Amino acid sequence: MKPITVFILGILIILSVSACTEVRAWERGYLAQPEMAWKPDPLESALNDHIFFSKEASSGGNSAAGGGCGCN
Amino acid sequence: MKATSKSLIALSTTALALPGIAGADAPPTVKTLSYKISSYKEDELSRKEAPLGDLDRYDIDVHQFQLVSPLGRNMSLRVDANYESLSGASPWFTSAGLDGNPIVNLSGASGIHDRRSELAIGGSYYLLNGSISGNVGYSEENDYRAIYGGFNGERHFNNELTTLALGFSYSSDEIFPTDATLFNRVSDESKHSSSVFFSISQVINQFSSFQSALSITEQSGFLSDPYKLRDSRPDDKTQFALSNSYRRFLVEADASLHINYRYYHDDFGISSHTADLSWHQNLGRRFRAIPSIRYYSQSSADFFTNIDDFLKPLTEYQSSDYRLSAFGAISGGISFVADMGNWKATLTAERYLANEDYSVHSVNQSSTALVKYTRLSLGIDFTF
Repeated sequence: MKPITVFILGILIILSVSACTEVRAWERGYLAQPEMAWKPDPLESALNDHIFFSKEASSGGNSAAGGGCGCN
Repeated sequence: MKATSKSLIALSTTALALPGIAGADAPPTVKTLSYKISSYKEDELSRKEAPLGDLDRYDIDVHQFQLVSPLGRNMSLRVDANYESLSGASPWFTSAGLDGNPIVNLSGASGIHDRRSELAIGGSYYLLNGSISGNVGYSEENDYRAIYGGFNGERHFNNELTTLALGFSYSSDEIFPTDATLFNRVSDESKHSSSVFFSISQVINQFSSFQSALSITEQSGFLSDPYKLRDSRPDDKTQFALSNSYRRFLVEADASLHINYRYYHDDFGISSHTADLSWHQNLGRRFRAIPSIRYYSQSSADFFTNIDDFLKPLTEYQSSDYRLSAFGAISGGISFVADMGNWKATLTAERYLANEDYSVHSVNQSSTALVKYTRLSLGIDFTF
């Protein structure tokens, strides 16, 4: 399955889920916990991105790329 | 009526500030100064992999600084500064050993000593239903320089249950290898990278949320490794990465589960799967333990070879860079967080093991010099 197909399917699943779920603002206490963030520790995420970028061929995914490095 | 409006505004603000919905939805109300020091060392190669010369590989120290501050009522400022120093040796070329298997020859006996300094400044402007952000950065090493910038915007829909984000970045990099004349290396080359990403985040219910994101990066220019004795790669590359993230809070356990998966493909011929899972266990109100595990597998580049062929014409692409080989990697770690109000300390230990046997992709030519390392980090956050 091509990546774009997976992505479109993912969006359709999300939209179908959203259609049948209603979470009021005052019901979002658990979602507001700091450990529920997409990146609870930004420096740790940045460090991991940098290290894996220098050891593996893959990068990107959930943000636009920053500056490169001569990580040989 | 006025009181009701104030309550609604307060609730809306709370909803917008939910970190589970998006990364940065509301302006910070306090300044946060963060520092993290990390040290990691790659394991020595075995004598079987490198029969001659040094076996030591990189030893790296990283210092990260970050300041996030409110700027007026609707804006925030973010400053990042990083300093990295490394020493050790890197694979120089590969050849066939006496038994015909590939062996690796590391760069000079005295090794490599390099430093990287980076400064990035960014700002965000917060609207009622979203935000727009921009950043610029500069990174410099002894032999490498990057100037980059980017902007992104995000918009909330569906009673703040759905967030769409779109971002763009550009980087202009210059490469000027050391000892270029002595080792017949290129003296001054450049490369350019443009990247765009799109993401959608969705609150599923009061305990869980989901995010799906797609990024596309286009690189052009000098993409080879100037320090390898024989390394010739195409001068443009397109990368696709599709990531999915899931967060769930488990009330009875007082913990949250993080699951991330990424599929990657580029036109060097490399595809990869990355999956990681972490468990954020609260231990009372002040402490948290976070065990995590990550699995990675990639296929090889079309032009990867595990033994350099010096008879091939220079116009034919080839590289023995282990990062372009088919391999898998497993890493695991644990973090402990102590949150003392204005102060927060985080201690992390991690072990990373790469091996061709861990790959789910077919391995036609196994690489030497795959990396193993151990990392220790200590982070401090101070809010004021």
